[in-house]
Parts: sequence; C-alpha cells; structure tokens
Amino acid sequence: MRMNKPAAALAVAAMMTLAACGGGSSDTGSDEPGDDATFQEGGNAGAFKDESREAPAPVPDDAAEGGTLTVMTAVAPSTLDPTQAYYTDSTAILSDLVTRSLTQYAYNEETNDMQLIPDMATDLGRPNEDNTEWTFTLRDGLKYEDGTDVTAEDVAYAIKRSFAIAELPDGPTYQTTFFLDGDKYKGPFSDKGEYAGVTTDGNDITIKMRRPFSDMDYYASFPAFTAIPEAKDNPETYGQHPLATGPYKFADYKAGSSLTLVKNDQWDPNTDPGRIQMVDGWDFKFAQDTAKLENVIINDNGSAQTTLTYDNVSAASYRQIQAEKERLVTGTQPCTFMWYIDMTKVKDIKVRQAIGYAYPYEDAWKAGGDIVGVTRVPGTSILPPGTAGRKEYDALGIGGVNTDPEKSKELLKEAGAEGYEIKFLFSSDDEQAVAAKDAIVKGLEAGGFKATPIASTVETIRTDRTDYNSPINVRSSGWCSDWPSGGSWFPAQWSGDLVGLEGMPNPANFKEKKFDDEQNRILDELSPEDATKAWGDFDQSMEEEVYPAVVTGYGGVAMIHGSKVGGMANDNVRGMPTFSRMYITQ
Amino acid sequence: MGISPTELSQQDVPAEPEVVKQEIAGRSPVQIALGRLRSDKIAVACVVIVVFFILIAVFAPLLTRLFGVELRAGSPSEDLDQFNFPLIGPPDHGFTWEAPLGLAPNTGHDNLADWLYGARTSLTIATVSTLLATLIGVSIGLLAGFSRGWMDKVINFIIDVFLSLPFLLVALALAPIIVSRFGNSPDALKFWQFTALLLVLTLFGWMTLARLVRGEVLSLREREFVQAARVIGVPTRRILFKELLPNLIAPIIVSISLGLPAFVAAEAGLAYLGIGVVGIPSWGQTIDNAVPFFNTYPLYLYAPLVGVFLLVVALNLLGDAVRDAFDPKTRR
Repeated sequence: MRMNKPAAALAVAAMMTLAACGGGSSDTGSDEPGDDATFQEGGNAGAFKDESREAPAPVPDDAAEGGTLTVMTAVAPSTLDPTQAYYTDSTAILSDLVTRSLTQYAYNEETNDMQLIPDMATDLGRPNEDNTEWTFTLRDGLKYEDGTDVTAEDVAYAIKRSFAIAELPDGPTYQTTFFLDGDKYKGPFSDKGEYAGVTTDGNDITIKMRRPFSDMDYYASFPAFTAIPEAKDNPETYGQHPLATGPYKFADYKAGSSLTLVKNDQWDPNTDPGRIQMVDGWDFKFAQDTAKLENVIINDNGSAQTTLTYDNVSAASYRQIQAEKERLVTGTQPCTFMWYIDMTKVKDIKVRQAIGYAYPYEDAWKAGGDIVGVTRVPGTSILPPGTAGRKEYDALGIGGVNTDPEKSKELLKEAGAEGYEIKFLFSSDDEQAVAAKDAIVKGLEAGGFKATPIASTVETIRTDRTDYNSPINVRSSGWCSDWPSGGSWFPAQWSGDLVGLEGMPNPANFKEKKFDDEQNRILDELSPEDATKAWGDFDQSMEEEVYPAVVTGYGGVAMIHGSKVGGMANDNVRGMPTFSRMYITQ
Repeated sequence: MGISPTELSQQDVPAEPEVVKQEIAGRSPVQIALGRLRSDKIAVACVVIVVFFILIAVFAPLLTRLFGVELRAGSPSEDLDQFNFPLIGPPDHGFTWEAPLGLAPNTGHDNLADWLYGARTSLTIATVSTLLATLIGVSIGLLAGFSRGWMDKVINFIIDVFLSLPFLLVALALAPIIVSRFGNSPDALKFWQFTALLLVLTLFGWMTLARLVRGEVLSLREREFVQAARVIGVPTRRILFKELLPNLIAPIIVSISLGLPAFVAAEAGLAYLGIGVVGIPSWGQTIDNAVPFFNTYPLYLYAPLVGVFLLVVALNLLGDAVRDAFDPKTRR
C-alpha cells in the first residue's frame, strides 16, 4: 500500500506520513514509549483470518446512541473513488464506513490486531486447488443507500472497472498481474468487449487468475472490490458520491476540505459482521493546521470531546497527552522505512554494510521529529511486525539502532573506499527534513564517509527520487503492506523485472539472478503456507548476503482523541483508527 | 538710473557691526539633526539597543565561546529524552549555564548559539539589503528626476513594474528554482540562497526611495543654484552628486532608518515561510520550528520572538526620531 497520504502537509524527512494503526490504548503501565505489547510480540497484524465472525457485530455496552464524531487531519485524501482508493486514509474511510467490499478487516480485542473477516461475501472466498479461480458468494439483503439491491453483476462491474487504469489511475494494480487477461483488458470504458476473468451466477462471483493468487481474500478487502451499479457510474464524478452500502453515506463532500457522512438507513446490521452504526454521523475536516488540531483535542472542551485525528501526534504534544494515556492510541503499522542503496552504483557489499553501521538511526529520527519507539520503531527485518512468516534477524548485529562508526570505518578501510561519497536527497524547504539531513551528514562523516546532501523540495522530492538520472546513490523511502504477507512486499519492490520501469518501482535497482529465481520459485511452486515462510527466509538471505537496503525503522502510530470517543483502536493493517467500531461513550 | 556702488559715499556704507562672539555659526543641517537626536531620550535608548544587537552580531563567535556553547552541536540521541525534550535546562530542569536558553527539542542544538548567530544573519541581511536598495534607489531617482523626456518615462515605467510585482509570490517562486538549479552542490546552494535572498529583498526595496528622490530632484533642479551651475557649464555628473545629492541627505537617511526594520522583519518572515538560507541559523527559522512548542516549551519560541521584536521596535522608533530630527517642519 502507498506509504504516504497525499498532499504535503507533513513530509517527514523525505519520507511520507503514513497513517499507521495504533494497537489500542496501551495500558501496560510503564512510561517507556514502545512498551506496547504489539511491538515486542512482532504482532500479527491481520495475519489471522476469522471466517466465522457472525453478523451483526456486537455493540459495546458503554456506547451511547447518536452524536457526531469529528475527525480532524492535516492531510486530505486525494480521491474517494473506491477504485482509485489506495492510500491508507481513503481506504479506511471508504471501507470502514461507506463502501463495503467482499471481505473486510475487523479489530480483535483479545489479540489487539486486525483479522480478515467476510463482508458482503458470506465467507472469505473459495479458491480452487491451485488458487487460479476464486468464488465469492454475496449475502442476501444487501442494499444501496437508494434502496436498490446489490447484485453480483455490480461487484463484477466494479472489478472490471479496476482495470480502467487510464480513466481511474493510482489505484491498486495487482489485478493486472494476477487476473486472467489482466495485461490485456483495459476496463469497461475503453474496452467494450466482454471480460472473461469475472463471471457471475446468481449470487456467486467467480474470478479467474492467470497465475496462482493465494492472497485474493486479502485483496478482496480493497474498496475496489465493492459493488458499483453500472447504470449509475460516471468515472469522472463517482468519487464525489460513491453509492453507500455501509452504515454511512455521503451527505456533503468538498474535495480537499471536508466530508460529512450521515446514517444510511438501508444498511442492515444483520448482513454485516464488522460494523456498527451508533453515531448519527461523521464530520471529516481535512487540511487542518497540526498545532491547532492537536490543541483542540488535548484541551478536550465541548465538541472536542468527540473529536479525533488520525495524524501522528507531534513531539510537542506527545508529552502533554502522556498524562492521559487513555486518550492516546499507539501501535504499529505494517510499514518499513528504508535507505535503498543503488546497487548499480554502490557495488561493494562492504561499503553498503558500512552505510548501515554509520547511519545515525536515533539522531536522524529525533531530529526529524519522530518519537523513537512510538512513531518510529527500530527494526532490522525488511518485513515489518505483523506480517505473516516474518523472521526476526539482525544482519549487522546492531539492532537497527546502535550506530557504530568505528565498524563503518573498518569496513571502508577493508574495501579501500575511505571517504566514499554518499549522495542523498532532502527537502530543503522542510525544517525537520533539514535537521534530519544535518544529523545524517554528521553520522556518515563520523563513519568515514563523505556526505553530499542533494537539495530538493517537498513538492519535487518524489519525482527526483524516482528519477534514474538523479545524482544520488541512496534513496530514502519505504513500503507498507497491502496485505500482511511477503507476497505484497518482495515482488512489488525487489524483482529484477522492475528495474528500469517508469516510476522506479525497484528503488535499489536490485537485480540478482539468484534472488529473482527464488522469487519465481516461491510464487509459482510453493503452497501458500510454505510461501509465507519462504518470504521470511528470502528477507533474511537478501539482507545478509547482499544488503541492498538499510532498514531505518518501522512506522509507528500515536493518535489522540477526545475523552468521549469510544472504540478507537489501532487498525494495524492501515495505521488508521478502527472507524467501523467507533462510537460516543455514555 | 541706478546708483552704482562706487558712487556711494563712504559714509553711506553701514559700518560692519561688531560681531558678537557666539558659537551659533557654521552648523550644518546634519549637525542640527544630531543635536536634536541627542536630546531625544527615546532615540538614545533605541541607539543603545541597536548598538547592543550590532555588537552581538559582530562578536557572535566570541560570545558563543564566552558562554561555552557551540553552534549546531546537538546530538539528539544523547541530549534529549524519550519525548525529544532536552535533558538539561528548560523547560524541565531549570536554568543551567551549560545552555542558558536551553536546547532545541528534536535536534538538541543550543538555543543561545542559534540566537546569537540569528542576530548576525538578521542584521547582515538587513544591512546589506538596505544599502543596496538605497544605492539603487538614489541613483535611479537622481537619474529619473534630472533627465527630462523619455528617460524619465522609461524609468518611471520600470518603477511601476517593480511596484506591481507581488513580493511574496516572487520570493516563493524563486526558492524552488534555486533549489533545483543548485541543489546538487551544497556549497553553491548556500551561496545562491543567500544571494537570492539579498537580491529579492533589494529588488523589492528600492522603488519608494527612487520615487522620493525623483520628486525632490524635480523641485530642486529648478532652483537657482542648479540653474546657475548649468549656466556656467558644470557637467551633469557633478551637478547630480555635488549639487543635488547633499540636499537629499535627509530623506535618504530617513529612508534607511525606516527600511532597516522592514528588512529585519521581512527576513524573519521569509525564513518562517521556508524561503531563506538552509543551514544558517535565523530567528525566523527558529520561530517556525518553535511554534508547535508554544505551550510546552515557551522559552524556545520567546527568545527569537523577543529578538525580532526588540530589534524591529528599536529600529522603527529610531527611524521615527531620525525623521523628526531631519525634518525642519516637525517641532516637538
């Protein structure tokens, strides 16, 4: 999943802000940040599935009926079209409140993480033996906000619509890789012919694959797998008011500034095992000033008591809210920040490892405004906590945080590359990015490197970073799980086939035959269970044998809310509040 | 027929009156103005404050050493606690001489060192921009006022063009251009960002003075002493600089003294907006960083604010006093 929310507001040290999921108010009683259980266990974000979750979803005892929850945020979703939704904020708002998909994630209070449960479908889908054909069956009694019935054809149409990348860009694109004819079919707008990949029969929807796709049940939770009636679709305006199938519907949407949701009276709780409908409405306020919104929520007066934000709390405010821990939601998000080392430029593994030893982890995080252990969690594996099959290893033996300049100098000396020049990008118009840059320069120089920061701007840094001709040899970025399995990680960023493609999907220019062969073997030959484990091993061997990336920590979440907001926990699949189960307390 | 002087009898010429030895003679307008300034208590106080800041700016490196602090020496992992707040000094640990103004949260840099060097940045940029703007303004104003016809029209048009350009927009647009042009080399970037800041401030600061000077010249050039100089064939350059310029000293000094505080404020404002010199301490940048901490760590915000406030108020009041002193029409 895209690591960033759109719009610039909070660019953090050349990376982006992500919405992470907090693992419920931490009640461990210690003052140390990062003592949240989910951090240490490695978590299991969404790795568990629960096919038997029954509708309706239970309503908590302390929930009051009515009221409006206000959500304030410094960013704004770029689109609310279900097919295009790929950022954590837009998928959470749509999936949790407005548009139902075939499957959904639901919070599990006992394990403090998310589970995949059925949504519009009666189960999590039925694959055939080799995962090349998946069948979902729609529940009875599903209705749109206008009272018309949801049909299997509507879901089939929504799936076909997701192929229309030219008309509806920026959405998830796994369907083009895995679905039958995914590389040829161009969607219902430009391609008037039939699409053979999706067929319907009564309430059944069958999706055919061109290669085994064992993670289809996870993928079916994206808003793209909702129901869209073809007759009411206009690709240019549908995102202004997507037809609601969930408990709330659009009342008023001003792109970039506000969204008001009201109760959808056509939604039947007996068809939905994951959502409740306790509040009367939701009031989203986008593009707000961070200092202002944090103050409103922390002061907790009047309507602020029912206000929340999904932005990470700033260092300035984190300390204040510490006194009222029950109003702070912390946790993990399945995101890994990395310094991708350009394999075509830095060819000596000793130099690459030296970068890992010299990188001033804690200094750079703090200077960039991150709270170590809360909004940035040290780590060494590329797969973040909460990914199925994740293996804990430490390629450099420094725990992903203990910078060792001496070791770095030693390695550089062995490689005969003393004073090796590292060039990296930073946003010169973002004071925190500049401060992080200063810390990194200091650290690299202490480790025997020559550091040359290349200036860019918040506006242009993404295009500069994905430009093959940029004069840089490391790229600071990251990746978030689309679903909690290695299958949404390595083929998406570490496949040699991606080298040279537009947009630089393989930021390290990593192309090693051995590892490409291994990826193909895992994708094509292994059973889903074996593959899950194999990705963990792949992760370890890649970092230990090649070290193409310095893991600069996992994303953490620290969101604050007013004292009357109930049910707000950490959706650790997205790093967002668990909107679907939230209410106002009595 | 008139009487030629030679025809006057000796007695008709009044005898030289006995000159009473008094020291009123020979005071230039500048001397008069300075005298007035000296008796203005507010002006004297402002001069003291401004001189204080100038001393800080000039001796910033010495002062940081004197206080035992160092610029940009923070180590976030060692100097800050788990909340990214400093482990010594305010806001949690009381006053310490190790960091008299505390350390900055997130980075751990020393606030006093940043403040001292910030004064230097502010005053350097303000002074250089003011001088450049004055130079341009005066020369163009002289030229426009003295030349008749098309030259005057062209210059007036140029002045109008610059007056119509939105200052903030140009500054905002220029910043990313410089970054993308010189981003590849940190040193070149620093130099050009500094130069560009000076240029932007200068280019938008000369027009008012140019108009003022032009107006003055228009009225002065019709006066007898200028006419006389022209008649006896004094070269234009000489008329401009020897006859006209000395008469313009008052408005120029007033313009400088009112321009300085404007430039100090503009520099801080631009730095706050992220347009400025990366890596050079500046009050505006510190204010930008400190705003979110206004209720958890007020000192962090107040130090640069007080700096900008004091300097701008002192310069402004001084400017007013200078104007009053040079203007013969004001009588306090």
